[in-house]
Amino acid sequence: MDKIPDVLVRPEFEASDIGKASTADVARKLTLIERISDMHSVRKLSILVIVVIVWEVYSRLSGVSELILPKFSATALALADAVFSEQLLYMVWNSITVLISGYAIGIVIATLLTTAAATTRFGSDILSTLTAMLNPLPAIALLPLALLWFGLGADAIIFTLLHSVIWPVALNAHVGFMSVSETQRMVGRNYGLRGIVYVVKLLIPAAFPQILMGLKIGWSYAWRTLIAAELVFGGSISDTSEGASGGLGWFIFVSQMDLRIAYVFAGLFMVILVGVVVETVVFNKIESLTVRKWGMQAR
Amino acid sequence: MSTSSNNKKTAIPQLVLRPEFEVSDIEQAQTSEVARKLSTLERIWNIDGVRKFVILLSLVVAWQAYTVGFDVEPLMLPSFWVSFSTLIRDLFYSDLIWKVWFSIKVLLIGYSAGLFLAAVLILWATVSRFGSDFISMATAMFNPLPAIALLPLAMLWFGLGTASLVFVLIHSVLWAVALSTHSGFEGVSQTLRMIGRNYGLKGFGYVWKILVPAALPSILAGMKIGWAFAWRTLIGAELVFGASSGSGGLGWYIFESSQNIDTDGVFAGLFMVILIGFFVENVIFRNIERRTVNRWGMQR
Repeated sequence: MDKIPDVLVRPEFEASDIGKASTADVARKLTLIERISDMHSVRKLSILVIVVIVWEVYSRLSGVSELILPKFSATALALADAVFSEQLLYMVWNSITVLISGYAIGIVIATLLTTAAATTRFGSDILSTLTAMLNPLPAIALLPLALLWFGLGADAIIFTLLHSVIWPVALNAHVGFMSVSETQRMVGRNYGLRGIVYVVKLLIPAAFPQILMGLKIGWSYAWRTLIAAELVFGGSISDTSEGASGGLGWFIFVSQMDLRIAYVFAGLFMVILVGVVVETVVFNKIESLTVRKWGMQAR
Repeated sequence: MSTSSNNKKTAIPQLVLRPEFEVSDIEQAQTSEVARKLSTLERIWNIDGVRKFVILLSLVVAWQAYTVGFDVEPLMLPSFWVSFSTLIRDLFYSDLIWKVWFSIKVLLIGYSAGLFLAAVLILWATVSRFGSDFISMATAMFNPLPAIALLPLAMLWFGLGTASLVFVLIHSVLWAVALSTHSGFEGVSQTLRMIGRNYGLKGFGYVWKILVPAALPSILAGMKIGWAFAWRTLIGAELVFGASSGSGGLGWYIFESSQNIDTDGVFAGLFMVILIGFFVENVIFRNIERRTVNRWGMQR
């Protein structure tokens, strides 16, 4: 057998010439400016202000034509003027009422379809065939047909809106229902839930994040479709006779036709405003009251 | 045993011993069929494709029967057969195929330019906080703005033609992709980021090797949404001014047919739109997903 080598013992020693550790500031108080610029809202607001200033300065200095790019100040004045003397808010309201009725009917139909799909295999087949076929079809492409079938007016727009809402909502809800865990389904069946009650009490809460996503996508398609419909077929669908006024898209269309570009920008601001309000206020509120409160979705 | 233990404890009751017994008269269990062979018909009906095909077929038959049986005015609703033969006729004997190609070409240019710009913006956002703030501000503002609403301005700035189509397409792709990629990057777990930094990855390498693969599900979701918006925007835009750019696209074909009250032409155009949309969503994107996020186990 090999001999175990002797353990080497090194003499202990003490290093005496290590200098005192010099550290930089570990925590430094931030200056007031740094603290202000760390605030989220301040940073975002300053970006907005910078964009506005750049726009204003560029349009003043480069001498670009008012018809190509109006000054920001002119746009702001146009927005105020449109709101106060050209019934812009009333036009927005027109658009929104059409949008809401289309959206609501669309959701009802999507609910019926998904309920049928969740309870029977045949329904599920019908839904997946229809959505695979019709979801990629832009709703706006149906507008020419809608105009033919329903004539000029709100009915034709509502028909196209329906089409733009039903498929994304139904598709997402169906996918959500399919991915509800087997455990939860069995719990539901254990409680004796069946048919519509099973869908309402079990599937809908369990698949709510997906459903909400479908609703958001449906809203954004519907909003795009509505603006496009009013814009593209502006004159032909809006009732522009005396006393009546069209929607927001129509306002943009008319302003562009009259070469009042500042008013086009004002209309675009309004579109952004409505979109931001719906997406951040309405849907965020719904999310914070449901899926985030239930802990189904982070943030 | 209980007697030897402490007096304060209550006495354990005596165990009752029941006599053992054996049941001798249990009958053999009566089960119904446990597994039954399905008949051929049932087995065929169980194939997914067959059921879907039957549904499609019955829709077509219902359409045809309704139009023929009720003698519907063909200007309002042409029969399936007429629409279908119009599609075949225009596809092979007319210039529909070129119109489709024109649309797809414009779409591809706009889509790739939008993706490129989104990538540049996102890179900027990952390296500087100002860029990140700018992206979240810009997406919050421009994402709810339908691209088609910019069409009047685009026509003014770039004139009638492909350039303004590409401009609105870029707008429709850019914000959707930037938004979901940015939120995907922000959701990449700290562990993965630290691994990347441990390997000494920085700047572009860090984004390409760590952030992009980790956030691929949301990037793909953004690309799909961007595609859907772009497709809708293109058709919408072509419905207005396809003709002015010379040959015109698929949307223009639909518009032209509807103006001529050529309803079977409208349906033929819609068939084509459905076909292309179906192909892109269910073949291209499905395959990309299968090869990446599904294979990597990031998404079912």
